[in-house]
Amino acid sequence: MKNIYQPIEAIVEDVITESPTIKTFVLRLKEPFEFKTGQFIELTLPGIGEAPFTPSSDPNIKDKIDLTIMNVGRVTALLHNIPKNTSLGIRGPYGKGYPLDKFEGKDVLIVGGGVGLAPLRSLLFSLFTGIDKYNKVVLRYGSRTPTDIIYKGSIGEWAKKNKVDVVTTVDVGDSAWNGNVGLVTTILKDLPVDLEKAVSIVCGPPIMMKFVTLKLLDLGFKPQDIYLSMEKNMSCGLGKCGHCRIGSFYSCKDGPVFTYEQLKDIHDIWD
Amino acid sequence: MDNIYYTESAQFTVFLNKLKDTCKVFSPVVKDPNAKEIDYFYKHAPDSQPPVFNSYRAVEPLKPFFTSPREKITDYFISPKDVKEVTGKTIVLGVKSCDIAGHKVQDFVFLEGTGADNLYQLRRENTILISGDCTDFKEVCHCLAWEILPHPTWGFDLNLSPLTEGYVIEVGSKKGEEFIRQYKEYFVKAKETQVSARKTKRDKLIERLKKHLAPQNLVSKDTVQRLVRQGYNLDTWQQFMLPCVECGGCNLICDTCHCFLLTDEKEGNLNQKLRVWDSCQYANFARVAGGANPLKTRAQRLRNRFMKKFDFFMDNLGMPACCGCGRCIEVCPAKIDIREVLKDLAKKLNIAK
Repeated sequence: MKNIYQPIEAIVEDVITESPTIKTFVLRLKEPFEFKTGQFIELTLPGIGEAPFTPSSDPNIKDKIDLTIMNVGRVTALLHNIPKNTSLGIRGPYGKGYPLDKFEGKDVLIVGGGVGLAPLRSLLFSLFTGIDKYNKVVLRYGSRTPTDIIYKGSIGEWAKKNKVDVVTTVDVGDSAWNGNVGLVTTILKDLPVDLEKAVSIVCGPPIMMKFVTLKLLDLGFKPQDIYLSMEKNMSCGLGKCGHCRIGSFYSCKDGPVFTYEQLKDIHDIWD
Repeated sequence: MDNIYYTESAQFTVFLNKLKDTCKVFSPVVKDPNAKEIDYFYKHAPDSQPPVFNSYRAVEPLKPFFTSPREKITDYFISPKDVKEVTGKTIVLGVKSCDIAGHKVQDFVFLEGTGADNLYQLRRENTILISGDCTDFKEVCHCLAWEILPHPTWGFDLNLSPLTEGYVIEVGSKKGEEFIRQYKEYFVKAKETQVSARKTKRDKLIERLKKHLAPQNLVSKDTVQRLVRQGYNLDTWQQFMLPCVECGGCNLICDTCHCFLLTDEKEGNLNQKLRVWDSCQYANFARVAGGANPLKTRAQRLRNRFMKKFDFFMDNLGMPACCGCGRCIEVCPAKIDIREVLKDLAKKLNIAK
């Protein structure tokens, strides 16, 4: 009988510093492991604790996964100090992930805030792989300051791709910054999308997702075409431990990606 | 009638002693015979001869037979081992109808959905529940409010209904059937008079319990989900949480509450994952890394307990996650009463119960 809580071993092959508070860990898996973009995993720091993360890498890569992790809590603070070749544990994948089939033939608007770009990068890789199936990909990304921008080298590369449109902004600029300044909602004007056949995917801090959702509704997006990543305190990932309840859903098992249609009548979803 | 047997009390005692040779037998004992209201708790192979027949549910719920407050659930980074632990069968005598109804939630959580919790499943398979009719009730008992009868009608392996000289024994499962076959010398087919005597006793108790509950004017199963939904923004939560000391007792003693945290520990060179019971009344229950906490206040957490029981489980399992056992009422040092919270919502919303 397979033990549902047992993690498989993964070795830290590389650690990439993305920003002063965010690092990407490249993990080589010791056993076969597959995930769909948008699904999450539980990462174990052996003997210490675990925390949920959504991989930021291309799901078509089977032997490695990337986890882009912000230093915000007990486990992540320790993770930020581990050397290469450390053994970590992985359980999962959990949840439903992004329904790529529903995006086919559509203008796909992706709105990211801060480290929320991590799961969206995995989604972008999946979309790029099958780009013929989608009408276009429009990325709007906001960070607090220029140093908080992650995947700095990649964003420019994505912008050059055919059928891909990228605009970024920062809340507060610095002397070297000559791009947009303002919250991410300020770059959602004049979107090059056809609302009749557009979907939007949003991932970022709750306050950002709230205002982006309101803005998208304002622009005319339908609640069923707005996809949100609701990351709660998922402990088991299996719909058993009870920590990530949202109304009559568990974020871990019924999400973490929900449409706004599913959530709009539930109280306090942005808390 | 096919699956109903009878055994005399003396025979039953012999039968139970016989079981102790091969099984781990837990049965109820009286905590304090001089107490105003008697409490029962489970004990492993107690000495009492004949065994105590508890007239209502024990102090503790059924769940500790299947999960522990803190236990190792897996080692990791070693070659995968099969989950093993259970040695032989465990028998729990003295389970009541409320326990069985409440335990349906535990089965739903740990056996169904994304995958079965292996330890839970093994223990469930190796445990035999010998339940019994209630012959009395505690002040806090209110199973009937949730349409649960004070005698089990499903979910048991064997059920005992006491008559003056012995027990009517109903078989409720394959496991129970095998048991009767294995120990057939102790049982005879029940006579019609015995089965009708059982019905008379059961009906009498239901009438007494109804009389006890009528003046309480409790909320019903049909309205409770509407109540907690519409009462989401009422001041009831604020008002009732005031004396709460966040001990978590209401959750830990509950037949249906099942929330847990996974934690990691090292023992020597071994990495271990532990499953630890948790309570939604604790301040950090829903807190995420970075500090955001959707259940910051005690009022939010009290409401969470009710939304989970009466909204989430109505939607996901078609039943409230409350079996009316009243344990949370008895355990609460602040005297927060689940019945009163619901009644307050109904009163303020002016909804007929």
